[in-house]
Amino acid sequence: MSSSLTTGGRQEAPGKRRLLYPLRFAEQYFGNGIRLMGGTLILLYKTWSCILRGKIDWGETSRQCEMVGIKSFLVVSITALFTGFAMSLQISRELVLFGADTAIGGVVSLALIREIGPITAGVTLAGRVGSAIAAELTTMMITEQIDALKVMRIDPIEFLVVPRYLAAILMMPVLSVYAMFIGLLAGIVIAYTAANLPVATFLDSVKQTILDRDFVVHYLKAFINGTIVASFSCAIGLSTRGGAEDVGIATTRSIVWTMTMVFVFNFLVTSLTYAPR
Amino acid sequence: MADNNRKPAMKVVDIWKSFDDREILKGISFEVYPGEILGIIGPSGCGKSTILKIMCGLLDQDRGEVIKNTDDVGLVFQGSALLNSYTVGENLALALRGQKMSKEQEDVQIKKTLNLVGLGDYYDYYPSELSGGQQKRTSFARAVVATPKIILYDEPTTGLDPVMSTIIEDYMIDLERELHAASIVVTHQYSTWTRTADRIIMMHAGKIVWQGKPDEAVNSDNPYIHQFAHGTREGPMLNAVAV
Repeated sequence: MSSSLTTGGRQEAPGKRRLLYPLRFAEQYFGNGIRLMGGTLILLYKTWSCILRGKIDWGETSRQCEMVGIKSFLVVSITALFTGFAMSLQISRELVLFGADTAIGGVVSLALIREIGPITAGVTLAGRVGSAIAAELTTMMITEQIDALKVMRIDPIEFLVVPRYLAAILMMPVLSVYAMFIGLLAGIVIAYTAANLPVATFLDSVKQTILDRDFVVHYLKAFINGTIVASFSCAIGLSTRGGAEDVGIATTRSIVWTMTMVFVFNFLVTSLTYAPR
Repeated sequence: MADNNRKPAMKVVDIWKSFDDREILKGISFEVYPGEILGIIGPSGCGKSTILKIMCGLLDQDRGEVIKNTDDVGLVFQGSALLNSYTVGENLALALRGQKMSKEQEDVQIKKTLNLVGLGDYYDYYPSELSGGQQKRTSFARAVVATPKIILYDEPTTGLDPVMSTIIEDYMIDLERELHAASIVVTHQYSTWTRTADRIIMMHAGKIVWQGKPDEAVNSDNPYIHQFAHGTREGPMLNAVAV
């Protein structure tokens, strides 16, 4: 059978080659990214089907909660504290200039609950936990530990991914709210020292500004960030083959993808929930 | 020993496998019987490990069939493949997950198996605290703790010193006697296939080029097995190897 659309040394019809060229271009430049996103969605589907069937190792999940959550508190504290300091300093400076210093608490808390809290926790977890998950699972792939699980008829998704995913979506809201409160604390300190604003005035402004909806969106963002960090890192870890060098590549890839996706989805949620209509 | 009146524990029928455009396996067929150790030998890159991975379901073949009368398969990995964050005991417990056993029964079975490979005192040790030989023996113990009907060994003695190789080979023979399982040993170590295997198949460039008993292999006129068994440069395999 003759065919003009074959590869492997045979010639293609020029017209069809031109037609296929953009697809090949896309495959060449975006193929890995598209494959990773597809792989992540499939992994997420399989993870949720395990969770919904009750196939959860709670012992391992609590161990992962400690790794993901408890051990991240210090780094989240430091990141949120200094982000809060810097942001409050900028906001205080501008609002004092306009004589609106009583609004400092409201503006700072709004920024924290809507954007800075989820972003700080998300980025910190992407760097600290996402990279660790990718490195661990890649090492397990390379050293045939995951093959060993399969031979023992243990589903690697149920055994490895589900506990990490559950830990991420359970701990991310906790860390996110914690980051928000630390940031708020930094705001109070700056407002008091830089703008001479009493704590009561600051908190009064916070109460008047924050809406219930802000908390709902905050939790939604934290849940999405947890999903992004765990699913992308696991997908990268479980799809990597090769040697020691690939552990480093997978780790870097995990950080780049999870951080980028945290920012992209943060914007998407913001635009869907807060955009003016 | 093989008895052709018995039903094979595993039958491999006309297996073909390619990676990209490279054909790795070209119509491999053989069978292994309960109580038999079958050695698969051949030079590096001939497709030995690929056929092993297909047999235990880690790879899918392009064509052909693997017929097993049981799903109870244990695999001893070349690099041990122990889970580093789990102790020796916990690693073995993983293999018993599917069995309906109480915790006490599990512990008894694990300790019995660890004693069998001389690691009774290492229950709470992590793999990183063990030597290479001990890790290999733990990998053995994990593969057999659930008393599988088929045991696969991927280069079980590669990289070990001669004394440890002999110990591992002895364990293989002892385990085969104890469990009466069908065993398949993929190796290119002379001492391993001559000491442990009841029957040998030799692979070269994705095909079976010879089969017979280990003592026949040493005296065979077949140019492939002759070259492999004697380790000479002269022979048909030299053309396939970059020198």
